[in-house]
Amino acid sequence: MSASTQEINNLINQEYKQGFVTELETNTFLPGLDESVIHKLSKIKNEPEFMLEYRLKAFRHWQTMKSPEWAFVKFDSIDYQAISYYSAPKRKEDGPKSLDEIDPQVLEAYKKLGIPLDEQERLAGVAVDAVFDSVSVATTFKGKLKDAGVIFCPISEALRDHPELIKEYLGSVVPITDNYFAALNAAVFTDGSFVYIPKGVRCPMELSTYFRINAANTGQFERTLIIADEGSHVSYLEGCTAPMRDENQLHAAVVELVAMKDAVIKYSTVQNWYPGDKNGLGGIYNFVTKRADCRGENSKVSWTQVETGSAITWKYPSCVLTGDNSVGEFYSVALTNNYQQADTGTKMIHIGKNTRSTIVSKGISAGKAQNTYRGLVKVLKSAENARNYTQCDSLLVGDQCGAHTFPYIEVKQPSAQVEHEATTSKISEDQLFFCQQRGLSAEDAVSMIVNGFCKEVFKELPMEFAVEAQALLGLSLEGSVG
Amino acid sequence: MVTAKTNAYVDAYPEVESLLCGKTLPWLQQLRADALLQLTAHGFPSFRDEEWRYTNVSAIDKKHYGVALNATSAAIDINWLKNYQLADVWSLVLVDGYFSADLSNLEGLPDAVKAISLSQAFQDSHYSSFLEGKLNSAVDFAENGFVAFNGAYFVDGVLIHIPSKQIVAKPIQILHIATQALTAINTRTVIVADELSETQLIETYVGLDSAYLSVAVTEVFIGQNADVTLHKVQVESDNALHFGGTYVKQARDARFRHDNFALGGLLARSDVHTDLDYASECELNGLYLGVKRQHIDNHTRINHLKPHGISRQLYKGVLDDRARGVFQGRVVVAEDAQKTDSQMNNRNLLLSSDAEADTKPQLEIYADDVKCAHGVTVGQLDEKSIFYLQSRCVDEETARNMLTFAFANEMVDKVKIKSLHDLILGQVLTRFPQEGINKEWL
Repeated sequence: MSASTQEINNLINQEYKQGFVTELETNTFLPGLDESVIHKLSKIKNEPEFMLEYRLKAFRHWQTMKSPEWAFVKFDSIDYQAISYYSAPKRKEDGPKSLDEIDPQVLEAYKKLGIPLDEQERLAGVAVDAVFDSVSVATTFKGKLKDAGVIFCPISEALRDHPELIKEYLGSVVPITDNYFAALNAAVFTDGSFVYIPKGVRCPMELSTYFRINAANTGQFERTLIIADEGSHVSYLEGCTAPMRDENQLHAAVVELVAMKDAVIKYSTVQNWYPGDKNGLGGIYNFVTKRADCRGENSKVSWTQVETGSAITWKYPSCVLTGDNSVGEFYSVALTNNYQQADTGTKMIHIGKNTRSTIVSKGISAGKAQNTYRGLVKVLKSAENARNYTQCDSLLVGDQCGAHTFPYIEVKQPSAQVEHEATTSKISEDQLFFCQQRGLSAEDAVSMIVNGFCKEVFKELPMEFAVEAQALLGLSLEGSVG
Repeated sequence: MVTAKTNAYVDAYPEVESLLCGKTLPWLQQLRADALLQLTAHGFPSFRDEEWRYTNVSAIDKKHYGVALNATSAAIDINWLKNYQLADVWSLVLVDGYFSADLSNLEGLPDAVKAISLSQAFQDSHYSSFLEGKLNSAVDFAENGFVAFNGAYFVDGVLIHIPSKQIVAKPIQILHIATQALTAINTRTVIVADELSETQLIETYVGLDSAYLSVAVTEVFIGQNADVTLHKVQVESDNALHFGGTYVKQARDARFRHDNFALGGLLARSDVHTDLDYASECELNGLYLGVKRQHIDNHTRINHLKPHGISRQLYKGVLDDRARGVFQGRVVVAEDAQKTDSQMNNRNLLLSSDAEADTKPQLEIYADDVKCAHGVTVGQLDEKSIFYLQSRCVDEETARNMLTFAFANEMVDKVKIKSLHDLILGQVLTRFPQEGINKEWL
């Protein structure tokens, strides 16, 4: 094995820095799932009646479904009765009125993660909704956003304060019958973020949600709903981490985006759930349904994801391009190492005329990991002049990993133009040699090459989040490798 | 999926058993029993199977296709046959799945090269022991219901054995003709090319104008450093269902080329699977033309099992009217297979707003030092090219036809056997979307 390969290994074998546990007093449900748990959950959240019905309907439907098996991932079947469906840090009365009331240990945990909940911190300009296990513990800059007319709050709060919006939009992009994990989420989701940008408003700051799983034996089921009304603009980032534990924990989220006429939503994810240890023990199962509906003409949704964590990542952020001239984009870097498995990609459904979509996916597979790109581009008959460009490249590091590409392309419209390209390769010795003979160390050379490989995606991450992304990712690919 | 009709096919087995070749061989009896068991348990594929998601085979449930009886070849018009039977090659003709010595032409075939029907081979102790263990070793009945169906029900077929170092001077054609309506025609072909040999083969599937079900399984065993080119020309009748599978085992340094012309049939599916050993090479080419309500599915799988293998794939589709074209390609590079070089390309031209193209090119890679790429396009003719031709005084319709033809002709031109090239070209032109147009420019 050459020195350079060693360098690559050193780079990718960094420790998981967010693996600490915060000792807290919590309110946690006993493990198990039945209708009484859902009743209890709905009650504790003080939800309107229609929500309880919605949850029960989803739960009943979920019971009739079977766990899907088509993905290119292997895991032991999940015992849904062994999971606790609610865990929240204990607090006085009903929820903190200000930051002072938040458990200092929770604040400390976020500080440790580099997410200051203190509005005076350097990240002024980014509003954060912090979700700790099953509940949102703080949302910053609420006041400033309110002045602009933007609603940014935990979804449980939105359920109480804006039931009309929830009624109209919740489940309108991802219905409860959509898939097994979406149905489960609809039944038991505990919190998440809600964003509404009114007509013609350009959100004055970046919004972000930080998800933290802390308690053991719990599942995290969060729900995010973003509605961008006509002509509005919003950029949103989510980050996630979890402590190091030996057992697998389930994270089954649903994210729904609705873009009306001329609206733009940019959704970026930096996913760094605990990936399990070197032997594949523990880690988060990240089974997420994310979908955007470009309802209005000229609307645009852009997904950017950097996936470095989770034992298993199984998600396909998708765009339904309903409106004429709407645009969908998907930029992804997925890094898998050790025994991690990722089956991720996107779906672009072209319905409206002149709809366009771009897919750029970069997969890096190391150790004994399996990294799969799976994507669907579907052009319906109505989508005249639809255009899609897909590029998925895989980089293999080590001879025991796998990189797979499974694109699905279905075209029913002759004026559509669909292109797909994929390559798989390793870092070539020639490239390394070239850099080295120009005076770069092997480490810098590898960094440069990997960096260049991912650049196309990284440049899509919003500037404001560059700092945060680096803080979130103890090893940000860009940071530590480049 | 097991349906009532599947059971009807299974239940008919005792009645047709007497028609099948090789009845007296215990090992073959066992093989057929295994196939029947598989079919009983799993039935024909459904679109819920990942490998069949774009192809619904429920058409076989709508009618019952009885087993074809051995008809006299008198029904066949010799002049019509000349359209498909090439004059300058050796040919074996099967009518409704049964070998016809009268229609075949093996004159001058070197003694060392064996080209005989399976029913003959099973009667000869030398060949039956040659086939034992070989037959069905390149494919598994679990592959899909049609392979199992074929395994249980094949009435006859062909064995071609090329001895080592033999370079076969002329191509060998295997011509399958379907004459009886509402019959299921099951044939089996075994091709064994020993080391350092060179062969060119042609498989042609034609039928009289009727609805029938044609299920063909071809196994090809290519020895070390041997070279096999196999052309498949599928021009079944408009109402026929065709399920053809070619399963190849390549030894070290073996070369395999497959040219697949899927032109006929109402519902046609073609599978090409090949396993590559150390430094072996394969080239899979395909052209599918779909018009009217045709559904044409092409499926390839290349398993790179050992290092230094090379594979190239180019499949092109032209789809008009309400036709649907499917391409599913899969390249698997095993952990061992370092230095693999693989390319897969699929290009589709959609000519009508009711046509559909579904494509699923897959890479499954477990080795790190490899070069693998795939590319897919679905689109229409390039407006700039049309404009260019128009600026050179070619009217728009002709320009479109020229470009469409050129798109398809790239595959036809790869065929180097003159008579076969002309046969395919003729077939392409008759099925060419804008039929009856002035083709002076050809």
